[in-house]
Amino acid sequence: MTELLNATAITKRYGGITALSRADFSARAGEVHALLGENGAGKSTFIQILAGAVRPDGGTVTLAGSPYRPRNPQEAQQSGISPVFQELSLVPDLTVEENIWFRREPLSAIRTVRARAMREATLELFARHKFPPIRPDQELRRLTLAERQVIEIAKALSRDPQVLILDEATSALGPQETEWLLGLAKGLAEAGRLVIYISHRLGEVRQIADRITVFRNGATVAAYDTHAVDDETIITDMLGRRMDRLYPERKSTASQTVALGLRGFGVDHRLADIDLDLREGEVLGIAGMQGHGQRELFQALFGIGGSRGTVEVWGKPKTIRGPRQALTGRDGLALVPEDRRNHGLLLSKSVRENLTLSVIQRFTRFGITDPKRESALVDEMIATLKIKTGTPEQLAGTLSGGNQQKVIFGKMLLTEARILLLYDPTRGIDVGTKGEIFQLMRDLAAKGYAILFYSSDLAELVHVADRVAVLRNGRLAAILEGEDNSERQILRAALIETRAA
Amino acid sequence: MSIVDPTSRAGIAIANSGAAGTTPRRSRAAIWKSALLDRASLIIPCVMLVALLLVYASLRDGVFTLDELNLDTAAAMTLLLAATGQTIVLLRGGIDLSIGGMISLGTVLAATRFGTDPGQAAAWAFGIVAIGGLVGALNGILITVLRLQPFLVTLATWSILSGAAMIILPTDGGALPSGWTMFGVSSWLGLSSSVWLLALLLVFWFWFKRTRLGIAIRATGSNERSAFLSGVSPIGINIATYGLSGIFAALAALYLTTQTGAGSPTIGKDYILPSVAAAVIGGISLFGGRGGLVGTMIGAFILTLIGNLVFVLEVSSYWQPIVSGIILLIAVLASSIAEKSARRSLS
Amino acid sequence: MNIRRHRAILLAYLGMIVLLLLTSVVAPGFLSATHLRSTVVLAAFIGIVALGQTFVIIGGGIDLSVPWVLNSAAVLMTLLANSQDAPLLWIVPVLLAAGALVGMVNGFGVAIFGVPPIIMTLAVNVILQGGILVYTGGAPTSTAPQAIQFLAVGRIGGFPVVLILWIALAAIATFLLSKTAFGRHLYAVGTSATVAEFSGVPALRTTVLAYTLSGFTAALAGMLLTGYTAQAYLGMGDPYLFTSIAAVAIGGASILGGSGHYIGTIAGALVLTILTGLLPALNLSSGALLIVYGAVILVTVSLASEALSGLSAFLPRFGRSRGPSA
Repeated sequence: MTELLNATAITKRYGGITALSRADFSARAGEVHALLGENGAGKSTFIQILAGAVRPDGGTVTLAGSPYRPRNPQEAQQSGISPVFQELSLVPDLTVEENIWFRREPLSAIRTVRARAMREATLELFARHKFPPIRPDQELRRLTLAERQVIEIAKALSRDPQVLILDEATSALGPQETEWLLGLAKGLAEAGRLVIYISHRLGEVRQIADRITVFRNGATVAAYDTHAVDDETIITDMLGRRMDRLYPERKSTASQTVALGLRGFGVDHRLADIDLDLREGEVLGIAGMQGHGQRELFQALFGIGGSRGTVEVWGKPKTIRGPRQALTGRDGLALVPEDRRNHGLLLSKSVRENLTLSVIQRFTRFGITDPKRESALVDEMIATLKIKTGTPEQLAGTLSGGNQQKVIFGKMLLTEARILLLYDPTRGIDVGTKGEIFQLMRDLAAKGYAILFYSSDLAELVHVADRVAVLRNGRLAAILEGEDNSERQILRAALIETRAA
Repeated sequence: MSIVDPTSRAGIAIANSGAAGTTPRRSRAAIWKSALLDRASLIIPCVMLVALLLVYASLRDGVFTLDELNLDTAAAMTLLLAATGQTIVLLRGGIDLSIGGMISLGTVLAATRFGTDPGQAAAWAFGIVAIGGLVGALNGILITVLRLQPFLVTLATWSILSGAAMIILPTDGGALPSGWTMFGVSSWLGLSSSVWLLALLLVFWFWFKRTRLGIAIRATGSNERSAFLSGVSPIGINIATYGLSGIFAALAALYLTTQTGAGSPTIGKDYILPSVAAAVIGGISLFGGRGGLVGTMIGAFILTLIGNLVFVLEVSSYWQPIVSGIILLIAVLASSIAEKSARRSLS
Repeated sequence: MNIRRHRAILLAYLGMIVLLLLTSVVAPGFLSATHLRSTVVLAAFIGIVALGQTFVIIGGGIDLSVPWVLNSAAVLMTLLANSQDAPLLWIVPVLLAAGALVGMVNGFGVAIFGVPPIIMTLAVNVILQGGILVYTGGAPTSTAPQAIQFLAVGRIGGFPVVLILWIALAAIATFLLSKTAFGRHLYAVGTSATVAEFSGVPALRTTVLAYTLSGFTAALAGMLLTGYTAQAYLGMGDPYLFTSIAAVAIGGASILGGSGHYIGTIAGALVLTILTGLLPALNLSSGALLIVYGAVILVTVSLASEALSGLSAFLPRFGRSRGPSA
């Protein structure tokens, strides 16, 4: 295997912040090379340099022996490097195939798009890489988030790249699509390409990566063959310190009191007949393939979108028709949404304004706000959650993903609601913060909170939740606990007809 | 040391051969319903137009004749041309208020510069279109470079263009060669020149929306960030979008002079908001990315027909804005309800 | 309270001072006490209409119905009062309430039915226009009662009454925006209605209130303006659409919502008024005036925004570095 991509002493500064400080990276053709590191370690910046979106302040990059210095993303693409970012570059009102071939559509003599040629090329691409079934003429806005991620990958593959960069590409995918993508990556490597794989999921990394490079604080701290290193070492290198465990110790803290009781709960045709009890002090996981009703469950409980059936909160029936009816103080429900940037935070406002957004009445009398009481609440929450922010006035958009998530947690905790609905709370978050959030969840459970928790990462569900309720086709397929709470059992319940829970 | 249980792959293998992993199926009725709701933004204005035509026909004879088509198309054409440019801008997710100034300027320049020599008139006609394009391009540049909202930039350029028009011709007047105004009433094969123009516009649209630029404009309106990430040039797309709008505004001005035979420094004002209204009634989303010219044409005809109806009913012409406003609201409300239902039945 | 947020407002006031200095150079008579006073009074009318507009724009919307809410209140007042003072006691409150009601309708259309603000307020404007024109048959109306005229041009202790009214309203507006829950809700809704909803902010109520306020101030301005011109005439509201929006924009508010303040709008109103007052002295034709107006809008709003960083659009490299992100 020949060395294909070699980056030496890459440096990048943004004002006073050093994103990369003489980082090195070396990868060969025909391998899957994982790039690991906490958020803020410099991975994204490095990838953006490779993708031509950002220019380094120092260092050199060579591609197949020649200097590589793209002036813009288009040049990078032409050199054969195709990135797939977490932030999708897809357009909702165009169709799947229009998106894949955007700006590169086959043209006729009168400069119009040749629809048939485009369709054939799309189908050929799908077949060649064994894509999951998606109709090329569907409007993108119809697709689920996972399907859109798949199309984003299709878009990158359509250029037949030498180097495919996957940045947290599986965070939006369900187990099935994930497996497909991992197979795809290995296949590309076997065909002689280079796949650079960024992920926070060590399990996946182990499955497909040949070698691993670890960034920390903008520099390269380690590079090894995957089979020659254990997870402990990797995590220690990523964090710069030993981390005792990713998953906190799980003590049974559930009481008999039912915090949230659902009977016959449903949302139009996407969710039906859900009978579920969430107990005080319990972390109840929700699992299932993408699009099988999880999002509807969480959003309907919070009042977004209609629902049918009965909901009892702390023993009393409650109708929730909107978030305002959900957030009623101690007896309310609080949602940490899937899309933190568009649903959870006002990015252009300060951490303080975001934290107190849901509880303005707590520091308001006769309609007039009291800045001192607000500051007290804000300072307390920043300290409790260890939110890394310069001052409370810092804009939420400038925080790292993990800290942004903490702000959203803080916002919900301030509402004093004791039932928390957490929808994929650790998506795209670095290992260190993930551990903190898991610990927070168990601590809150110990204090008597009732937590409903959805994650697309089965390992998380298995290790953090007390019980796991599996949804299949909008119905409850199984409730697993104890020994049955395993990834294998969850998958079986999610995919195959089994005995009822 | 692996965290994932490798035997879980057995489950995946079973899944790959089966149907699991896809979203729950919908009934046929639901599929039809959603297909209908999808096209609601075009169906609603069609229904409105038909309803209006029927009302019109009940009050007057000879509504569904060629003559009527010729007359109505001529009456609607100026708005149609202006609305075409506005449609392109709205698809981009912007808005162009400066067409008001451009239309005024266009008529004023034509009325004062055409003279009697057809060669000179032709040269100036091209010149006016070129000015429209250049001013539009300038709009695009200012919006991109100054990073200002299109609303504000085109508000300012509207003011500037109106001022220029007023300086060149302070009050309505001027003159246009008779050959030019003859074009306004000429016909070929029984159809008026405006109907042929309409056909030409439709041909243009069916071509344009299939070009890379047409797709790029719609994409940028749909999700600007994605479009830029995919290689669309921010300044290029704005220059193209607003340049086209300026060109169509100039064409609208030229057509208007074939009907009125004069120039007016203030006439453009009356076309700005109706051009937006025609597009919105026709199903264009103000957010960008959705809609097409056919809808706008229907919207323009609806607005023109309301004027006819008010005239035929012999009520005060002041009723026209009232009815137009109500129709606009109904169209938008119906669209919004349809979209909400469509979204709900989406899996 | 950091500088960046207030930068736009500071720039607006800076611009105003620069304009004043320019004025003193070009037309020295302008800085006399009488002239300054009349300038501020004229600015007050814009400022009052722009008060409601500020709230609506901060909340993420826009109110295109101010011209004919203003005009309707003006026309109805003169017609109903018939130059008498006494009826004003019930006419004024009723018309203010009517203006607020129209605003509420706008708010409901936008907040509950999801009609885009441009369309909703445009339709309402046009319907009101048609309505008043049908009602009056396009004919001019009677003169304004003396009491209103006093309010508009009279003085108390040397201070124009209008100015006192404006200052009172400005204080209320500033207070509402900076120190109340309503203000916080408004900024949140204007930044992202979705996030506001997900956070339990009463988005509906907030939006409706903002539009209601705008209808109220437009009606108020209409009645005061009638006092100033001594008569209501058709079309008197039209200039106030452009100027109210421009005042808000010059004052540093983002037209998309979520930022800005009435304090900035005050500067915007003053800038616009000084400009309109200045230019005729330079003997410019109305056409040239329009051109300068447009140019000034561009310049002042560019300075208030992050304008010149957009020059990077000319560089072949995509975008500007946003710094390390999550």
